[in-house]
Amino acid sequence: MVSTGRVAVSLFVPRLLGIFAFAILCVLFVSPLGFMVVVSFYKADPMAFYQETFTWENYQRYFSSFYLNVTLRTLWSTALSAVIVVVLAFTAMLAIVELSRRWQLFWIILLLSMMCLSEVIVGFSWLILLSESAGIPRLLGALGLWDNPRSLSPSFGAMMIGLVTLGFSVVSLVLYPQVAGRDKSVEEAARTLGTPPYLVPLYVTLPIFMQTLIALTLTMFVYLLGVFVMPVMLGRPKDWTMTVMISDKALGDGNLPLGAALAVVMLIITAVLLIVSLAFSRKRTAA
Amino acid sequence: MKGIGGKLYLLVLLLVIVLPFIVVAGVSIGASKTIAFPPSEFSGRWYHMLFSEPEWLKAMGLSLLIALTAAIIAVSLALVVNYTLWRLNTRFTRLTFALGLGPFMLPPIILALGASLFWAEVGWYGRIEATIISHGIFLVTLPLVIVARGFASLTDDVVEAATIMGATQWKLFTTIVLPLITPYLLTGFVLVAILSFNEYLIANMISGFIVETLPIKIFNNVRYGYSPVVASASMFFVTITVTALLLVARSTDLLALLGAPKDS
Repeated sequence: MVSTGRVAVSLFVPRLLGIFAFAILCVLFVSPLGFMVVVSFYKADPMAFYQETFTWENYQRYFSSFYLNVTLRTLWSTALSAVIVVVLAFTAMLAIVELSRRWQLFWIILLLSMMCLSEVIVGFSWLILLSESAGIPRLLGALGLWDNPRSLSPSFGAMMIGLVTLGFSVVSLVLYPQVAGRDKSVEEAARTLGTPPYLVPLYVTLPIFMQTLIALTLTMFVYLLGVFVMPVMLGRPKDWTMTVMISDKALGDGNLPLGAALAVVMLIITAVLLIVSLAFSRKRTAA
Repeated sequence: MKGIGGKLYLLVLLLVIVLPFIVVAGVSIGASKTIAFPPSEFSGRWYHMLFSEPEWLKAMGLSLLIALTAAIIAVSLALVVNYTLWRLNTRFTRLTFALGLGPFMLPPIILALGASLFWAEVGWYGRIEATIISHGIFLVTLPLVIVARGFASLTDDVVEAATIMGATQWKLFTTIVLPLITPYLLTGFVLVAILSFNEYLIANMISGFIVETLPIKIFNNVRYGYSPVVASASMFFVTITVTALLLVARSTDLLALLGAPKDS
């Protein structure tokens, strides 16, 4: 009896701390999302933030052709950049893990810096590099390769470069331990059995990693879906994504309910993708 | 990807990653009032401006204050969640841990809009405290995962031995748990501070019109006509970020921390 008493006392503090942490996350992470869903059903009011009367209006406006179009083109540009990111990061990691530990560390620090660096800075530096007065167009003009050099941004390509730069570091860092720690005996066996060495990555390594890569592409898609700075800085208005619309509605036009409704649609897309991604990784662990 | 082909590929990637920053560095030390590269004349005036004009100094101070306090919040929360998970390992503590992974699984704009609506309702819209708390909560995922690795390195026999020797839970925590996980806590702290220092979207939507942090100031400058001082501010960012990461790399085994197999 004495010992159970002592156990109960010693578990009291951790239990209290556990409830405290859970409560904090609920109030400051979950409840804002819930409140956002509520606001998406409020009536817009240009004079205040919103009127607390229930309406389907915001979702009706969303399903008008304009916002649906924005959604479709957002899905397209985000999907394209996510696929490019994963392809580049996977091939780069296959090469990086073959380097010496010193050079691996160099790359990891480089990638970590890229991951931490503000999208504002990354976007700005690409803006300069693609500009008429300071970047690649000027260089090509000076070399006589381009008669009439003009700025390469804003454009769809510039926005893509920005998005890919952002995602590349994150995916590389996630892939690093998996690629570095992979079982190389299968590749070895394939080579011994006569597979040409340059085809081994394609025929052996890629299939092994396929499910990881698909799950990562989905995760990357969700991440790039919410990027604001790159489309605004490097893309043309007709490339602007849902994220830009949400921010413009909420901050620019002061139409918070419509912004919230757009965000809820994005939340649903995200949830669906996360569930699919989870199913993929489940299958992987089961296999 | 062995041999020359792989190395060449990496060289191209390296160039693409680094090139924009070389150009920005060039612009930041140029004398001309417009953005131009390569610079025809060199000057330190843009750096002088960055470190002497009150509006830039204020933005830097705000960013630093937010970054450091948000990092304290995030690391404390990550410690509490991991400690309770380690001690109790109940369904409830596992749920709390999973909840902490949430912010990194959602597009940042959703978090930003949710937080902005939430703080407006609470009445803290536009206050620096709101930015600090939201950064602390939304960036908790990284220290949560890193500190979890620290707790995973705690072996049962050490803990059992201490308990048999009669150590109280508090003593066990301060003499065994804390020293072992301190490197992980520090790494988490530095990473959150850097991420918060660089974060634009959430800070802007919660209180950007009053609390103008450095990324917000740079963005506003770029969007509405800009001068090379933005380039020097960007280089300041790059320097701070890389220095902080190099310090982390010096004090911990970064590769192992990221989960790479140790060379034996």
